[in-house]
Amino acid sequence: MIPTTPRTAPPRNVAAEVSALASVLDAVAAEWLKLRTMRSAWALSGGAAVSTLIGLVVIMSHVGSYDQATPQEQASFESADPAVAVMPLVAFFIGSLSALAITTEYSTGSIAPSLVAVPRRRMLLAAKTVVVTCVALACGVLFASLSQIGAVLILGDRPAPLNPWAHWWEAVPPATGTAVTTLATGLVALGLGTILRSTAATVALIGALTLVVPMFAHMLPEPVHLWVASVLIPNLAPQIAGADSAYLLSPPAATAVLAFYVVVTLAAAGLSFSRRDS
Amino acid sequence: MIEVRELTKRYGSTLALDRLSFHVPPGRVTGFLGPNGAGKSTTLRVIVGLHSPTSGVALVNGRRYAEISRPLHEVGALLDAGAVHPGRTAFKQLACLARSHRIGSARIMALLEQVGLQDVAHRRIGGFSLGMRQRLGIAAALLGDPGVVLLDEPVNGLDAEGIRWVRGLMRTLAAEGRTVLLSSHLMSEMALTVDHVLVIGRGRLIAESSMEDLARRFRRDILVRSPKHLELGGVLRAAGMSVSFGPRDALTVTGADTATIGDLAAERRIPIHELTPRDATLEDVYLEMTEEAADYRAGGGESR
Repeated sequence: MIPTTPRTAPPRNVAAEVSALASVLDAVAAEWLKLRTMRSAWALSGGAAVSTLIGLVVIMSHVGSYDQATPQEQASFESADPAVAVMPLVAFFIGSLSALAITTEYSTGSIAPSLVAVPRRRMLLAAKTVVVTCVALACGVLFASLSQIGAVLILGDRPAPLNPWAHWWEAVPPATGTAVTTLATGLVALGLGTILRSTAATVALIGALTLVVPMFAHMLPEPVHLWVASVLIPNLAPQIAGADSAYLLSPPAATAVLAFYVVVTLAAAGLSFSRRDS
Repeated sequence: MIEVRELTKRYGSTLALDRLSFHVPPGRVTGFLGPNGAGKSTTLRVIVGLHSPTSGVALVNGRRYAEISRPLHEVGALLDAGAVHPGRTAFKQLACLARSHRIGSARIMALLEQVGLQDVAHRRIGGFSLGMRQRLGIAAALLGDPGVVLLDEPVNGLDAEGIRWVRGLMRTLAAEGRTVLLSSHLMSEMALTVDHVLVIGRGRLIAESSMEDLARRFRRDILVRSPKHLELGGVLRAAGMSVSFGPRDALTVTGADTATIGDLAAERRIPIHELTPRDATLEDVYLEMTEEAADYRAGGGESR
């Protein structure tokens, strides 16, 4: 028979025996378990790893072309910056992974048992936010570091303009900037996923934000292009890092814009999650 | 104990629940019966806080569901057996819910064993039949050893053995003092499982009674067979009963009970070969009660 306890008295109030913090921590642990038991989450992490490798191969090929070019041609080579060649794709994959933390629950209907287990919606969304923060930050730091280290090793002592850094430690602030924008992309994706409840729609929107719009922003006339490009999430990375770029924002202003994306999206997500039926 | 008071739920112009009130006490299996679209699932979803009511309240042990910190220890719910991630294994599916309540692996394995899924505990749910998913859903509902159990159509997809198992389980849970609310659109299922029934149609409570009372209310007539049926018919009519003569030696009697007919026949030494009270089948009763309240009927399309 099912292992149950006979109820001769009303059920004890288990709720009174656990602190709110313990409940939150347990909800976070459950969300972490959900994310790591999703095959698609691992596939998307793999996608981020593969795009890092491909980006480094592209840089290697770029460097090969540089080595065979004449000095005049070398002087006009674009810099082999992984923040441009690698990290937008990584951010897209990590953003998609972050969106899945909620959209998969809607697509499978498992949001219902999740909310039956954790009915306080803000707590459930907070738990998902904590998990996405940790995963997106860890992935951002990992892939930004790998791509920067790889690029430093590939570039060796080649000079500017191919090599964006005179010394290896100058690669640290841009890596930090891209790690932070990857984290922000993940959180924005979680917020959008909560509002849209659709994996396809959220992934398409994240693709637009990280890849498509930055690409097409170049087609806008100046100075509109610069205004728009300066506030796009991937382009905030060099501005946060204070790197030399054509963009307009100071590091504090760029950080504030990035924070604005995250706060507005998550606040809207919180409102939507609390008020709508599931 | 579940208490629903004046619950109204409106989706746009559709009124799904219309001032629905009932309470479900512990210690018995209560059936929640109604045609498709009557509002059963909506009610269960409101009780566990998935949908918010337009007005009214639904309380579990005197509290709104969202106010319970570790709700799986108080309420277990199977709302939709298909609402699972197909890529997870059965064990991981339960573990994801159990982790939020610090329920350990031993409890998960014990439940999987008891619902008959121990051999597939580490197989992905995507390959499970509907019956296996129902069993997994029931295991999920019982994870926290809850005092209140809500099951929405739990026998869907189960084979005969599975249905018998669910019936036994419901009765055991109720006998242990738990509150058990079981929804179904099948009256025959209710007849064999529940003690008390709430009949709902178009979001309103149509009837509430014990299964016995429900059957009694819809008793039709008594079939009597006797070699002296003509004589017996006269006696019964003289006693004020309504009698009609059937084929051969049969009489159909209304307005009396079997004991009175037997006694009258014995007084006059009239032999009786059969005395059978004939009830409307519970399906008939249910269809009669919900006829007006059915949302959709075959051939008729939407009735509203």
